[in-house]
Amino acid sequence: MKCLETETLISYAYHLTDELAASQVRAHLAECPRCREIVEQHGRLDALLDEWKAAEPTPWFDVRVRHAVEEQQSRRDARSFWGWDWARGLALASLGVLIIAGVAWFTLSHTGDYTSSRVATQQPHSMSGPQTPPQTAKLQSPNGTAHPGVEPAQAVPELKSTGAEDKDALALEDYDLAANFDLLSELPKGQARVAN
Amino acid sequence: MAIETDLELMLRVREGDAASFEILLRRYRLPLVSYFRRMVRDQGLAEDLAQEVFLRVYKSRERYQPEARFTTWLYRIATNLALNAIRDRRDEVSDSAGDDADGGPVLERFVDPHPTVEQRLMQGDRERLIRQAVEALPENQRTAVILHKYQEVDYRQIAGILSVSESAVKSLLFRAYETLRVRLEPLLREGRI
Repeated sequence: MKCLETETLISYAYHLTDELAASQVRAHLAECPRCREIVEQHGRLDALLDEWKAAEPTPWFDVRVRHAVEEQQSRRDARSFWGWDWARGLALASLGVLIIAGVAWFTLSHTGDYTSSRVATQQPHSMSGPQTPPQTAKLQSPNGTAHPGVEPAQAVPELKSTGAEDKDALALEDYDLAANFDLLSELPKGQARVAN
Repeated sequence: MAIETDLELMLRVREGDAASFEILLRRYRLPLVSYFRRMVRDQGLAEDLAQEVFLRVYKSRERYQPEARFTTWLYRIATNLALNAIRDRRDEVSDSAGDDADGGPVLERFVDPHPTVEQRLMQGDRERLIRQAVEALPENQRTAVILHKYQEVDYRQIAGILSVSESAVKSLLFRAYETLRVRLEPLLREGRI
């Protein structure tokens, strides 16, 4: 009779096999003294290993665990108010304020650019020569009435100009030059006011 | 009154029930301290590690998911702590001992230099020989044997604890028990007389 593998016998001895395999081993052991001896040795080993006793926990073990858990809980409670949770909320609020401020600044700065560029393109430009008479440009209110004595720089005018100034304005493509050009300084003295 | 399962208790702990945690503490204090005592030998360290397991269970109660058996989760935490402690102590010993590593059982070198009277009386007896034989096993075999033999953990659960296959656990146990049978043969013969 061929003996079973040692692994199979040990698995049987320590209940590591299923019931079908266990029944096959039992049948073999009934007829094989060598395999039976191995299984019996492991049975004795199993009993021998039981002699290694582990010590009980010390009486204050439970107290220590409870204390550690309570300490952990109180640390967590404290942290949730004074620590990370609180700081996280503050950080989020600060971030929100920064975002709103950023959006507001961006919106306002771009609105200013738009206004100034519109005013710049609508200013009367008399580039044909320094002696061009200013009488050609007239400031008018939306209802068509003129504003005598209103300074051009102070008015937010809706300009109505003659064809000659429009041609000059089209010739002036450089926006910066138009914005910085001091038109009034080139007018003859006494004619800085827009004629009625 | 029906005995609550570990799972039921842990789910209640997750909801903040301190009484359920107390039941788990009472249920597993002895198994865990015994497990660590056999793994690291030192009683003080064993209790420190067992305390750490309970603390980790409590800390992670809100994230607990009942996917595996509670004991599988518990012993996985415990085993990781035990193996880390053994490695830390091994590093300390090898640092302090220099090159005098003799290749013998690792935990044999952790013997308290000032043994108590009780410990002296224990020297030379059967229990010490058994302990030395188990401690001399390779780390993974020793862990598997202690879990299987002393903690009575099923080999399928051991596979989950050690993150290896069931057949690998059977192989570990087979080799470990056969090694122990050979090493402890004098005691086995003695026992027959």
